[in-house]
Amino acid sequence: MYGRKACQLVKELASGEKGQLTPYNSDLFDQVIAECSQHHLELQSLIRKMQEEGLDVQTTRNADHYGALIHHLSLVRNKRCLMAYMYNRAEIIRSLIWKVGPVLPQQIQEKLSHTEEEYFKKHSGALQSYMSRLDLDLTVDMVPPKDPYIQVRVLDDIGVVLSDDKTTNFARHSMHFLKRTDAEQFISRGLMEELTS
Amino acid sequence: MAKYYDIDDIITDEEIVAVIFQKSASGVGIDPSSETDCVEVGSKVELPFWLAHELQQRQAVSLNIPTSFNQNTRLEIQADSACVDLRSRCPFFYEFGCKIAPLVGARNIGPLLLSAFKSRYKEVLTKAHTAAFTAASKNLTILTKEETNLYEAAQSSMAAFKKWRMGGPRFQKASILGRKRKSTE
Repeated sequence: MYGRKACQLVKELASGEKGQLTPYNSDLFDQVIAECSQHHLELQSLIRKMQEEGLDVQTTRNADHYGALIHHLSLVRNKRCLMAYMYNRAEIIRSLIWKVGPVLPQQIQEKLSHTEEEYFKKHSGALQSYMSRLDLDLTVDMVPPKDPYIQVRVLDDIGVVLSDDKTTNFARHSMHFLKRTDAEQFISRGLMEELTS
Repeated sequence: MAKYYDIDDIITDEEIVAVIFQKSASGVGIDPSSETDCVEVGSKVELPFWLAHELQQRQAVSLNIPTSFNQNTRLEIQADSACVDLRSRCPFFYEFGCKIAPLVGARNIGPLLLSAFKSRYKEVLTKAHTAAFTAASKNLTILTKEETNLYEAAQSSMAAFKKWRMGGPRFQKASILGRKRKSTE
C-alpha cells in the first residue's frame, strides 16, 4: 500500500520512549524518497497521457485524473511523514544542549545522522555565543539553591579537572564538596551523583 | 495544518477504511484483487484514512463505517466499557472516531465515544493512583494511546507528590541518556 513505509518511519519515532532518540534510519528514509520518485514518474506519465488525448488537464474527471490524484495524494502524504520525522528529531536534538551540554556523549552521537550532528553543533554554537554576549550561563538549574555547595560522589573516572584556580582529581568513587554550578554538568552527563544527607 | 508535524495524528491517519469506488482510476496499484493496475467502479478496496478522506471529498469513493465502530463494539462498551480492549481495535479510538464520524454520517458515533471515554476515564484514574506498578501493567494493554497518556500523567503526578513529601536529590542524570548505568569496564 502507498505510504506504508513512510508511516513505518513515523511509527519508529513513536515507539521510542518520550524524549528518547532512536537511531537515524537512513535506509528506510531513502526507500521512501525512492517511492516518491516513483509516484512522481507515474503522475507525469498519466498527465502526459491525458494531454496526448487532447483533454483539458484542469477540468477532465476521467480514470486517469483519479489515478493521478491518488499519486499526488501519496506524494503529499509521504512528504508529511518525512517532514515530521526530521522535525521531531530536530526538536529532541535542540533540547539535548539544555540537558547534556555542548558535548554529545558517544551513545547519543551514534544515533544521529551526519547532518543532524552538524545541526547540533551549529545550534549549540549559536546558543554559546548568545550566552557569552549576555555573560550569563542559561543552562544552569533554574531553581535558586539553598546552599551553593553540594556533596557529590564520582561515578566514573573523570581525571584531573581545572576549576576556578585549583585542580581537583576526580577519581572514581571519590567524594567531593563542590560548587553547585561546577557539579551540575557532570551530574547531568551521568558522571557524578548528588549525595543527600 | 496545526497538527502537520504531529506523530500521533499521522499514525491515526494510517487507519484502514473500507471504501467503494464511485469513479474508476487507472495507473494505480492500490487494489490487490485487481490484475491490472486499474480500479473499476464499484470495487471494494481497503485504503488508509488519509487517502480515503481526500478521495471522498472529491466524490470518488464512498466510505463504510470501520469495524472498530460497529454494532459489536457498541454492545461491548455498553456492557462494561472498562474491560473492552480498545487498543487492539484501534489505538487512536477517540481521535479516529472524531475524524470519521462526520464523513460516514453516523450520528451515534459521537455519543458512543463520549460515553465510552467518560466511564473509562474514571477507571483509568483510580487505577493509576492506587494500583501498584506491577499489578497495573496488565490493565495497560487494553488502553488506547490517549488513555495511556492519561494514565502516565496520573502516575507521574503521584510520584512527584511522593518525592516532594520525602525529599530527594534535585539534580539527576539527563533522562535522554537512558536508565541503564553504563557498564563499568
